Amino acid sequence: MTHSITITVNGQAYTRQVDARLLLSDFIRHELLLTGTHVGCEHGVCGACTVLFDGEPVRSCLMFAVQADGHAITTVEGLSSDPERLHPLQQAFWEAHGLQCGFCTPGFLMTLVPFLEANPTPSEAEVREAISGNLCRCTGYQHIVDAVLLAATRLNGD
Amino acid sequence: MRAIGSSLPRGDAVGKVVGATPYSGDLSMPGMLHAVTLFARRPHARILALDLGEAGRVPGVVCILTAADVPHNRFGLNVPDQPVLCGPGDDEHASRVRFVGDKVAVVVAETVEAAERARALIRVEYEALPVVPNPVAARQTGAPVLHAAHPDNVLLHYRVRKGDTLAGFAQADVVVEGEYSVGGQEHAFLQPEAGLAWLDEEGRVAVACAGQWAHEEQEQIAHALRLPDERVRVIHPAIGGAFGGREDISVQIVLALAAQKTGRPVKMVWTREESIIGHHKRHPMTYRCRTGATRDGRLVAAEVELVSDCGAYASTSTKVLGNATIMAVGPYDIPHVSIDAYTVYTNNVPSGAFRGFGAPQSHFAAESQMNKLAAALGMDPVELRLKNALRDGSLQVTQAPMPAGVSMDHVIEQCAESIGWRRTAQGWQRPAAAQPDSPWLRRGIGFAAAFKNIGFSFGYREHCWATVEIHGGGDIDRVVVRCAGSDVGQGAHLAFQQIAAEALGIEAEKVEIVSADTATTPGSSGSASASRMTFMAGNAIRGAAEKALAMWRDEEDRPVIATYEFNPPATTPMDDMGRSTPNFTYGYVAEAVEAEIDTETGEVRVRRVVCADDVGRAVNPQQVTGQIEGAVVQAQGWATIENFVQRDGLVLTPHLSTYLIPTVRDIPDRVDSIIVEVPDPLGPFGARGMAEMPFIPFAPALTAALHDATGVWFDHLPLTPVRVLETLDEQA
Repeated sequence: MTHSITITVNGQAYTRQVDARLLLSDFIRHELLLTGTHVGCEHGVCGACTVLFDGEPVRSCLMFAVQADGHAITTVEGLSSDPERLHPLQQAFWEAHGLQCGFCTPGFLMTLVPFLEANPTPSEAEVREAISGNLCRCTGYQHIVDAVLLAATRLNGD
Repeated sequence: MRAIGSSLPRGDAVGKVVGATPYSGDLSMPGMLHAVTLFARRPHARILALDLGEAGRVPGVVCILTAADVPHNRFGLNVPDQPVLCGPGDDEHASRVRFVGDKVAVVVAETVEAAERARALIRVEYEALPVVPNPVAARQTGAPVLHAAHPDNVLLHYRVRKGDTLAGFAQADVVVEGEYSVGGQEHAFLQPEAGLAWLDEEGRVAVACAGQWAHEEQEQIAHALRLPDERVRVIHPAIGGAFGGREDISVQIVLALAAQKTGRPVKMVWTREESIIGHHKRHPMTYRCRTGATRDGRLVAAEVELVSDCGAYASTSTKVLGNATIMAVGPYDIPHVSIDAYTVYTNNVPSGAFRGFGAPQSHFAAESQMNKLAAALGMDPVELRLKNALRDGSLQVTQAPMPAGVSMDHVIEQCAESIGWRRTAQGWQRPAAAQPDSPWLRRGIGFAAAFKNIGFSFGYREHCWATVEIHGGGDIDRVVVRCAGSDVGQGAHLAFQQIAAEALGIEAEKVEIVSADTATTPGSSGSASASRMTFMAGNAIRGAAEKALAMWRDEEDRPVIATYEFNPPATTPMDDMGRSTPNFTYGYVAEAVEAEIDTETGEVRVRRVVCADDVGRAVNPQQVTGQIEGAVVQAQGWATIENFVQRDGLVLTPHLSTYLIPTVRDIPDRVDSIIVEVPDPLGPFGARGMAEMPFIPFAPALTAALHDATGVWFDHLPLTPVRVLETLDEQA
């Protein structure tokens, strides 16, 4: 059974005929070819596939594309794709060595964008709490935490 | 500004933060087919029959590959003992499946859905065979023989005899005995295995995948397909972590075969579950140790028997066993040593390379012995280590002298001082951990040290190629470095760039790296493993750069192009007494851990880790710190929460929800990286390899901290809460 759905992704509306069981992560990756959203575990544990759903972080591997019908999705490509004008979080992950292999990075970024909007001056403990649902196997997390604190400082104009 | 020693940010990070960098699972091509694998999912069975009839009729199926399609149905990194595909027929070896991740068929179809539907319709008739669940069972009389060439299931036995242990133990005033066991470990790199294969414009079979050693993968694919190496091309796009877990073949051979058979691009992406059952693990090992010392703390004799679970196929087990053997008594000079080491086939998932490569297991046993010995002697554990640490010229257990540049005492002293050890008139003294108010929480501080080879060992061919092209007129405008070495996420290519810039006296921004493609690089770089890439590729790039620079000065032609092969000093295999020159250089590390144990729940919290790692010369200090922090947390996972469970050959933890790796909530409150720089005489600008070292001493330092906290020794990993509580109860 297929359904016609319209999803706004990174500001652009896409209408597609999809299977009811098509995952949102597969819709983003295979239908729209936005491969910045990564799939690491397929069942909501690792957080690599995190995207914004009407501004809230969700695991796109745990949702069906049809559930996003009529909603707005933001993927990592929607933050900034221009190396000259990166989002402060992207810039900070680069400068503060917040990534090694980088596979988990889009999920961290999409988890953190709304977090910093809600809490622009987080403590280190609050940053740790915020990313506690995202797995990274390379960094040991400390440089990620440093990057988030750097981004917060920059976002506050310091 | 000097290129080496500055924390330049990584060029590859920009593409990764904007989501533009393709990993192998992100690749696609017009007309691409999709492949899925039928895994055996049973640990030991004979395949009697295979019926593809119904599966082959599923609309969209293009072909189904089975054992009959593989021209040379064997592969393996060191020993080609693994069938590419298992199936019925005359080939007895390939007609048996020996672990759950053995592959039986690969379905190639127009869509993933069609391929999956067909896979479900393949009928395989199995005859179940008795399962060999562990090395103890494998060595019992009458155990099923897993490989005909090894009727006792022992793949390899190493025997080391240095000095005379009987005489040595006779001199000992104190003898400590211990038994230890450590578990396997899943790499859990975040990107599961994936690849895309096609026939390229030159008619080669090209495979883009995540690997660690493009030229070795090329060779193994060519071997299985019975093609000359140059008819196969391997490309590594961005790699989503490796840690040794991509050193073995995963999707490469079957994808190459599928592309060759269909003439179309074919893509395959493993699920996380397929990744966990499909690729090798860190070796589970058991140890029986005796260590003797004189009253004044001089080590006189050591005896070790160790057994590693090789799993179903050899993978790199023989090499890991070699490492585990020469590190089985730790980084100490001991005159009388006897070691027997075995690696044994079972029906478990094969064991193979994982950061540390046998060193973490052996150092857990050896350093636990040292901590117990210190306690038995009433001597400070740092004091005992410094009295016995390897030095330049010390004889290894293989009776060869240590290569020059040994810095064991430096890292021990710097680490100890940083966490608060004091030098007193009576020698070194451990600081006391501040105790929390809650009586069920106990804190302690522990210490351990380690050494680990850099580069391949025991006579294994070790070399690295690089080409440097200098473009410009009078001044150097641009430099292209061609070196195959893979950046598995560790930042190798930034190190290449900085080393080339340093050697040429130019800014790093002028250096472009071309790598990870067998078609565009001058030859093998060897594997991104053994903490060797900066050392080996650095030396090759430096050699090529110096050659090119001389041409630039002497010749008028532009650009100038120079190629260089770096060959380190030769190593040799062990003889029947274990005599050899095992390695050409080592890295040295010491770690102190402050930990807290909840004696009511069994939970272990790591508060602080100090790691002093001699990197020779920090090419990029920020990247070095990233390696230290990442390794410490991975080691903490291995020591505490990572519990890879296999029962009767079945994997009981095949997902990231059942196999737990550390989150940010599990990590130490603080990791202090102390970058020690004692130049390696052979290293490029003095640099040593370093990425494995911080992993190695963590576990024994942690258990020493727990002993300091509770008075109880923890000799078996992982330290799950249940095991911690049981151990506390047993020794209470």
